[in-house]
Amino acid sequence: MKYLIRFISRNPAGGVEYRDKVVDAPTITIGRATDQVLQLRDLRARLQHAVIEQKPDGVHVSSSALTGIIVNGRSQRASKLAVGDIIEVGANVIKVIDAPDGIDFAISFELSDDASTEHFVTRWSEPVSDVGGWSKRRLSWTLVAVVALLGFVLPIYTYDMFLQAGPIHSAHSTTAAECDLCHLNAFERVPDSACEACHTVDRHVVHSTAAVLGEIRCASCHLEHNEPEQLVNQHQGLCGDCHANTPPDAALDSAADFLDDHPEFNAAGQAEDSNLKFDHAAHLAEQGIVTPAGRRVIECNECHIQEPGGAGFETIRMDVHCSDCHTLSFDPDDTTRTVPHGDPETVVQSLIEYYSARLLGEDPDAVEQRVRRPGQRLSRADRDRAAAEARVEALAIAEDLFERRACTNCHTVTRVDGDVPWHVEPVELTTHFFSNAFFTHAAHQTEISACGDCHEARTSASATDVLVPGIENCRDCHGSGFARRNAPGQTPSTCVMCHSFHFESKGPRE
Amino acid sequence: MHESILAYRKRRYLWIALGVSLLAIVAYLFDDPQEPSNGGTVLGYTLGTTGVLLILWLTWFGVRKRRYSSTRGTVQGWLSAHVYLGVALLVVVVLHAGFQFGMNVHTVAFALMVLVIASGLWGVFIYMRYPERASANRDGSSRPELMDQLEDLDRRAQRVAGELSEEFQELVESGVSRTQLGSTLWTRLRGRDLSQIILRQGGKTTVMANPGQEAALDWLANEQSRAVDADSLAKIGELSALIRNKRQLLRQIAEDLRLQATMEIWLYFHVPLTAAMLMALIAHIVTVFLYW
Repeated sequence: MKYLIRFISRNPAGGVEYRDKVVDAPTITIGRATDQVLQLRDLRARLQHAVIEQKPDGVHVSSSALTGIIVNGRSQRASKLAVGDIIEVGANVIKVIDAPDGIDFAISFELSDDASTEHFVTRWSEPVSDVGGWSKRRLSWTLVAVVALLGFVLPIYTYDMFLQAGPIHSAHSTTAAECDLCHLNAFERVPDSACEACHTVDRHVVHSTAAVLGEIRCASCHLEHNEPEQLVNQHQGLCGDCHANTPPDAALDSAADFLDDHPEFNAAGQAEDSNLKFDHAAHLAEQGIVTPAGRRVIECNECHIQEPGGAGFETIRMDVHCSDCHTLSFDPDDTTRTVPHGDPETVVQSLIEYYSARLLGEDPDAVEQRVRRPGQRLSRADRDRAAAEARVEALAIAEDLFERRACTNCHTVTRVDGDVPWHVEPVELTTHFFSNAFFTHAAHQTEISACGDCHEARTSASATDVLVPGIENCRDCHGSGFARRNAPGQTPSTCVMCHSFHFESKGPRE
Repeated sequence: MHESILAYRKRRYLWIALGVSLLAIVAYLFDDPQEPSNGGTVLGYTLGTTGVLLILWLTWFGVRKRRYSSTRGTVQGWLSAHVYLGVALLVVVVLHAGFQFGMNVHTVAFALMVLVIASGLWGVFIYMRYPERASANRDGSSRPELMDQLEDLDRRAQRVAGELSEEFQELVESGVSRTQLGSTLWTRLRGRDLSQIILRQGGKTTVMANPGQEAALDWLANEQSRAVDADSLAKIGELSALIRNKRQLLRQIAEDLRLQATMEIWLYFHVPLTAAMLMALIAHIVTVFLYW
């Protein structure tokens, strides 16, 4: 289908100019878009505003735009066109004109002066620069003021806990409400004097180490306001940085990591010299041990009773823990008679008294059978002789007790000159094998641990055995201070888990 | 071809942001300070300084985008970096704090920063979807063009009304002058139509709400049913059609205003919260050294 579009323009002098354009297309599209056959420069027109097309009954114009079109002065959606009809789109006027020969349909088009109208602007079409009268700038300054007041100025004068970077350690909770107890001067680090107001530190960090470490403050190691709360530096580097790779002639061996760079414990492999004889193996025999109450199995905790604090054990006492079996009886005729558990003089004295009483007839059951007239008392000579006999008897029994039967079972007994010719070496058990380390049994009593896991008492026949385990035993559970070096399940163990930092009072074990 | 700010230069700033985050995470994992991880360790100070520099640079975007003559990068590039590095800031700051949070001014600064980043992500989401929805709604026209079309409809309604009685002219005149959509962000967000109209009924003149031109159309429908001659019947019908078209155009404009308001409102959170966060950041830094 061939269309003719006649463009009409008027020159300033008032003359009219025509420019014809022939279009061979099925339709004439009218709109603002660049692909339209008839492009309008009117903002009121849609990109595709209207279409002129041939239909069986003639040529029609139609529009899908909201503003629609005006045909012959009437707003319409679609209309059949005849010569002389006027179509208005916005300010554009399109006229249907006579088609010349060879042309199917012709229109003229005049771009109106009115086409580029000023946008009519109402208040509600303008951009909004505020929310309820609040511009972004005003909102910003208001929030800045609120944050400055509530977040900083107000806390300084009322609740300065709001300014702390983390919670105060529970050990310091009594001072928590007063920041300036420690933070003595603004914009200065907490000085040592703040700590020394409460803590005595003269035994801590001896001068020799201070010289090596240089300028350090209490708070270099003891940091507050952290989570998890931790006042003592637990880090491996605290000790390891200096104690790693010590020279061979140094007083202390290298100790950089418990996992694989820590010397064997001093106690391991040594002999205990306590003057006591004791056979753990015999006492802990699996089949039990013969007691006055019959054969029974003895458990560790019958003798080793934990202290209330849980760190160590109460002292083992002869009268409490041993005497049920180890009776100190001496008279086969009367096994309930025992000597006291004490020094040799007391033992001998008690024996002399016992036998004197018997020989001198004060004990009706133990009167020496001697013929006397009624009313006759023992002569002085008789009494002296009886006393001497009692003494001889007592010493004979005592020798048996001290050297063959009772005392020597457990104690080291030596012969000495004197009225009581025996000396029992005092028992000197080592109470702490780790003089420079902490160990608490309570922390190691778990569901999976038994005494025998660490202490090889069941095979120890001699009291000279040191039953404190070696370092390998600890390493079953305790690993490196660097968690990532450990196998799964191993407890990360830094130096300060067992050791404390350079306390002057703790020297090497003597 | 339009390129999303997220895809700018083959996601160059996404990779930079991921690099920064990864670097911070690896440093944190390998760091083994002699105290619980916090802002006061060597790494803590490093990450804190990085965070402050990032925040200052991110804030500078508000200045850079107004410097139209600046040739230091394109605004599109700056925005792309602003978005990605803004998210990376979250990683850097969380690691700076060593995951220690509490009821204090420091955590307030952190919380405000999180809100700023969240409002920024909201803005990114809005700008990914709403411009497209807005142009689909406007269907090729700009807002001024829609307004011109509205004016065109109004003029034609006035022309038709001029051929009818005075009541019709009053109806159309008041309908035109009292057409109003939301003029504040809130009313625009809710897509409110606040139009009014003056109606003459039974000798009484009343101002009525005219949302969606309903009151005008009802009145016209009533008049149409009472019209007797074919000419006025046709003209009233044409007037009704014009006002129905206006109703639809107004809905389109109201939707356009709503979409535009949505695209603006997030900045009313993002910008003031940024200012508040900067103040809290200053309080955080001053406090830390005040109580060193």
